[in-house]
Amino acid sequence: MTFILRNMWRRKARTFLTIFGIVVGIFALTVLGGMTARMNQQINGMKSYITDKIEVAPAGSSVRMMGGGMGGVKLLELSKVGEIEKVPGVKGASGMIMVQLKAAEGMSQPQMMIGYEPIAGTSMFNNAKLSVGRELQPGDAGKVLLGSTLATDLNAKVGQPVTLLGKQFQVVGIMDTTLGMTDSWAFVPYQDSLNIFLAQNPYFKAEGLTQGIVVFPKQGVDIEALSSKIQGSVAGIKTTSPKQAEKQISNISTIFSAIILGIAFIALFVGGLSVINTMIMSVSERRREIGLKKAIGATTGTILREYLGEALMIGLVAGACGMLLGLLAIAGLNRATHASNVVIFTVTATVIIGPVIFATVLAGLAGLFPALRAARLNPVDALKEE
Amino acid sequence: MSIVTTSGLKKVYTVGDTTINAVNGLDLAIEKGEFLSIMGPSGSGKTTLLHLLGCLDVPTSGTVSIEGKETGDLKPTALASIRREKIGFIFQEFNLLPVLSAVENVELPLRYQKVKPAERRRRALEALAKVGLSERANNKPGQLSGGESQRVAIARALVTEPALVLADEPTGELDTTNTVRIMDLLRELNKQLDLTVAIVTHDPMVAERTRRIISIRDGKIESDKAA
Repeated sequence: MTFILRNMWRRKARTFLTIFGIVVGIFALTVLGGMTARMNQQINGMKSYITDKIEVAPAGSSVRMMGGGMGGVKLLELSKVGEIEKVPGVKGASGMIMVQLKAAEGMSQPQMMIGYEPIAGTSMFNNAKLSVGRELQPGDAGKVLLGSTLATDLNAKVGQPVTLLGKQFQVVGIMDTTLGMTDSWAFVPYQDSLNIFLAQNPYFKAEGLTQGIVVFPKQGVDIEALSSKIQGSVAGIKTTSPKQAEKQISNISTIFSAIILGIAFIALFVGGLSVINTMIMSVSERRREIGLKKAIGATTGTILREYLGEALMIGLVAGACGMLLGLLAIAGLNRATHASNVVIFTVTATVIIGPVIFATVLAGLAGLFPALRAARLNPVDALKEE
Repeated sequence: MSIVTTSGLKKVYTVGDTTINAVNGLDLAIEKGEFLSIMGPSGSGKTTLLHLLGCLDVPTSGTVSIEGKETGDLKPTALASIRREKIGFIFQEFNLLPVLSAVENVELPLRYQKVKPAERRRRALEALAKVGLSERANNKPGQLSGGESQRVAIARALVTEPALVLADEPTGELDTTNTVRIMDLLRELNKQLDLTVAIVTHDPMVAERTRRIISIRDGKIESDKAA
């Protein structure tokens, strides 16, 4: 161990540069890892929302309803709700109308008001538990269910009033933090939301229109089959079943994973090459030493371990430094966005341990070839070296 | 029993189209406690012979036996183990590791023998005391003179209590005063510890301080006599 460290210290500048090269890669990997972890949290938050319902959007729209805003999105006639409810297996359907409470600032989620028609015996928020209060029920005019972040923002408490877009609502429930985008949403009855929308857009004939429809299946009905049945029997709509929605979500996830992988490959390439270079240099500089060590009884394995240890140490040090710098950056950025109630990065065990292991293994692999070369040196030849 | 014997020992090198018979059919026996020198002009094959005796190199034909055990068929790991347990090497250029202190350099062979750290340190300091360098134990090689460096190397060679110490021009980089000192030290250690020492040299002053002089020319023994 002392051996390894002292040998590394012999060429301070070179060792430092090699380590620095890896540090940069690992830093990027850690920061993006934190971002991906956060993304995945949000995606999982979203998944819990979609598992038990079918979403209906106007035919030809490519964006899922929950993701689409107001501007430019096609609208559905509200009469479709009735048509859909006639399809066997449907327990109920509700139109949806969204109004923006506050635009997204920087990386923050926009605050939205979502109006929907509560249907008796269904839950809009399947898995998301309420932290206090209850969900909306039929006949809840003037009441609101708040996402956790929004509730904190408004300093809202169950049973007390809050003012949204100039109208007072009474809070009936506050949801648990899902880390998804619903955290900054407010849910109100359809009519309340429509009224606000009409007040904001007096020339827009929005009566009888909806931005999307949520369909709840009856208990025990195959939800995927029901989704295609609705698609087949109601014209001008496009249904998204939970499976399809999940697939769309996973696609986002995949893109992010691909970015991470890309960064990892760059780190692999740059870091790997510089470790190979450094190790080849130190092996050729120390050929006589290797010869001597073999002369006094070091085996091939001993030499291999010494040099491999040096490469692993470079990787470990660089990995740890890069990761710590990454965490520092994440902490700083999270603090900077804290005021606007936004979290861009999440630190998980994988985010911390992953890059360090990656760097160590990478350096080990890169060091393997030079170490083998050192270990296989013929002692007589190595000793002759000047 | 002889410490080392060779029979019909040959080492052939091929450089381009020419083959060089560095060692050309050599029979030799070294007994325990001997203090001998192997002399010859450069290119006579004396260093190659030393490498063969020390199991650093393998012969083209013929055999080397260490303490009666033939080494011809041994694998590299087994040869490394013989070097570790039975042989001590001293080189012309000292070959101390610059990152290690004197005592750590002396400890190195014990490290490869997997001796425990405390025991290692004790024996290394003991070996340094034998070569009269106790007070330089914590100095790095860069802070030692040539004579001191070679004494550290000698301590490293004898710390494992080897059956045979092989020295390749051990005084080649030293002035006359230090040459005499090193030779006196080696002879003293030979006498006190019954250490078997074989020295390769082309310096008659070194050879005449040993008790047996083997002269080599063209890979063969030219003469073998008591000094």
